[in-house]
Amino acid sequence: MGKVCDMRENSDRKGISTAAAAALAVVLLIVGVAAGYFAGSATVTPQTTTLTQTVARTITTTQTVSAAQTVTQTVTQTATVTTTAAAPGGLPEKVKIGVLLPLSGELGSIGVRMLYGAHIAAKIVNDSGGIGGRPVQIIAEDTAAVPDKALDAVKKLVEVQGVQVIVGPATSVEAATIAKYLNDRKVPAISMSATAAALSNLAKQYGDTYFWRVVGSDTIQARALADIMKEKGFKRIVTFVVSNDYGIGMEQMLLAQPGMRDRVVLTIRYDPTKGDYRTELEQVRAANPDVIFYALWVESGKIVFRQALDLGLDKIPTMGGEGMADEAFFADPRAAEYMVKTGLFGTRPTYDPKTYSYQIFYNMHKRLYGDEPSLFADYTYDATMVAILAVGHAGVYDGAKIKNALALTGQYYIGATGMKAMDPSTGDLLSQDYLIWRVELKDGKPTYNFNYGFWSLGTGVVWK
Amino acid sequence: MVDGLSLNIAQILFNSLLTGSLYVLAAIGLTLTYGILKFPNVAHAEFITFGAYIAYTVADIWKLGFEAGVLAAFVATGLLGVASHIFLFGPLIRKGASILHLTVASVGYGIVLRYAMQEIWGRKDLYYSAYYPGFDLGPIRVTPLWLSFIFLAVAIVAVFHLLLTKTKIGKAMRATSNNPSLAQASGIDTRKIILLVWFLGSALAGLGGVMKASDTRITPVLGWDILIMSFAAVIFGGVGSIYGTIFAGYTLGFVENLGVIGLVALKLSTEYRFLLGFLVLVFALIFAPQGIAGITFKSIRRRLSSSG
Repeated sequence: MGKVCDMRENSDRKGISTAAAAALAVVLLIVGVAAGYFAGSATVTPQTTTLTQTVARTITTTQTVSAAQTVTQTVTQTATVTTTAAAPGGLPEKVKIGVLLPLSGELGSIGVRMLYGAHIAAKIVNDSGGIGGRPVQIIAEDTAAVPDKALDAVKKLVEVQGVQVIVGPATSVEAATIAKYLNDRKVPAISMSATAAALSNLAKQYGDTYFWRVVGSDTIQARALADIMKEKGFKRIVTFVVSNDYGIGMEQMLLAQPGMRDRVVLTIRYDPTKGDYRTELEQVRAANPDVIFYALWVESGKIVFRQALDLGLDKIPTMGGEGMADEAFFADPRAAEYMVKTGLFGTRPTYDPKTYSYQIFYNMHKRLYGDEPSLFADYTYDATMVAILAVGHAGVYDGAKIKNALALTGQYYIGATGMKAMDPSTGDLLSQDYLIWRVELKDGKPTYNFNYGFWSLGTGVVWK
Repeated sequence: MVDGLSLNIAQILFNSLLTGSLYVLAAIGLTLTYGILKFPNVAHAEFITFGAYIAYTVADIWKLGFEAGVLAAFVATGLLGVASHIFLFGPLIRKGASILHLTVASVGYGIVLRYAMQEIWGRKDLYYSAYYPGFDLGPIRVTPLWLSFIFLAVAIVAVFHLLLTKTKIGKAMRATSNNPSLAQASGIDTRKIILLVWFLGSALAGLGGVMKASDTRITPVLGWDILIMSFAAVIFGGVGSIYGTIFAGYTLGFVENLGVIGLVALKLSTEYRFLLGFLVLVFALIFAPQGIAGITFKSIRRRLSSSG
């Protein structure tokens, strides 16, 4: 799973009281517009006569946000008292949103708390009347972050529960495994945390875009990394990556950036099972680089760092992608020593938590669960919100039509984690911001400083 | 090739020596037991791991120092080998178990050992706290640990050579390996010799385990990473031949490290270095099916005259 960090460390919680009032007003506005939109589409497709009794009521509300801005909208709520299924073309009694998350296994503890994000999105929508009067229901299935189990879980959601839109899965390998099935059954999935660059090709590979994500692809991260390398003036770069999809993907993405082919003087893909990297590292030394770019797995990575320290490579600066911002590397004190000595730094997806959109999510999380949101609950919330809004946009509970609505839905949705405009040809998020972290010694202990710098498409590299 | 690439050949040869020493330590034990008992002991991988954990317990839990840990690993793993023979393989052999039975038994025994170790020391990676910083020895970067392991491996090779050629016990070992019943008939206590072989072979595996772990980390699957190459060294060197195994272990170490340079130059993954080692093995076996130990001047002459 890609690890995403927010800027909670440096956010100021105290100064939001006045902002909160304004936020609330804007949120009411957004929710109101959204609800009106759902109602509008719901009324376009009239209920058929098979329904025995339909009670419809129309509410007209006017919200005044400021003197200049007055929004009037009509919300039509349609309540059916029969138990018959929804008419063709309409929405079912309950709009099921399937969620694929690791609720057990190694990532189980994170996954359980990610699910909170989905429930918060459903609660906010249901509190304001659901989708055209139909409440949203979250149906979660456990994948244990194991690809085979993810495939079983998605089949269960689609075939047993009749789900037509899915939030998840969390990891890139799971996404790659279930992508063909999603395309075959025409059910879109929106991942909250799968960042592998290779997933951008799924749409082309299977003919249509049924895999989407609300977190930036590593392609954007590679651009950030290349910008940072140029800004630092590195002209002789060595890439040292684990020989698998993750490592080779990072290497290829980096080489694809303009001007990088001339700067990368040596590429090494290492075998993670071997545990003897002295000759690889000797070649790194011989290439006389300005910087070593690492994309390692933690287990083998610790050995690479330990042997690099032993070989005296600790004078060459080092960089890494988000996978390298993992405290598990510190388990080996020699690896940690190497990371501190070389000032290992790199990127990680981020967003600004001082926005109104984030505060809505944050406050609801506090209210419902009584504590701070944990890793990825925010992205899960946004993925669920996009799924719900797309159902409303489509007006029908049909995977293919919901898929067609996703691009436009994302375009006009500003979530807790920022803008969610996605490319309909790849399902990729169009823009992602990155913080720049660095390994430093704090009170004698190695730590990640997540406030070392910042990168976005608009600002470029900013050092702090 | 990359511009400005000035590879330090001395360093790469040193690295090869280090890799080869590890294979030699792990493979000698394997070939010893194979030579006398005629079955491949798959649980040898777990003996390697066991040594690494024993050294950790003595050096880092009881805090008796790393040197004491190395010694303890040598003795304890040797005793584990002896116990394995007395309680498992010995009784099986007496009951007339075939090579297949013994091999399968060793696989099962290995699994029991691995999970027992996982239960005792946990699944999490462990590290020796002992650390000796590296320094430059002429053109080569070394650490005291690397130097001492190469020294240890070479010393053991020398001691084994003397043991086998100059001592009575060594001759008894060779005799038992060649023909156990004849050895017994000529008054050699083959039972004692077999236990000695188990002790020495396992103890060297334990030493190899400490060496690998001090360079990387300690995990329950540590031995498995080395076992395949050890088997390759045993077959390459000629099953049961100690000299052949020593030569094969170092050859594989060199081929592997030189292979890495070629693979990186070709922009290929270094995962293929296993493949290079095995390619050497396959070609060697085509020309010398008995392994290196089977090569004699007579066989070369025969081959040359038959082809010419």
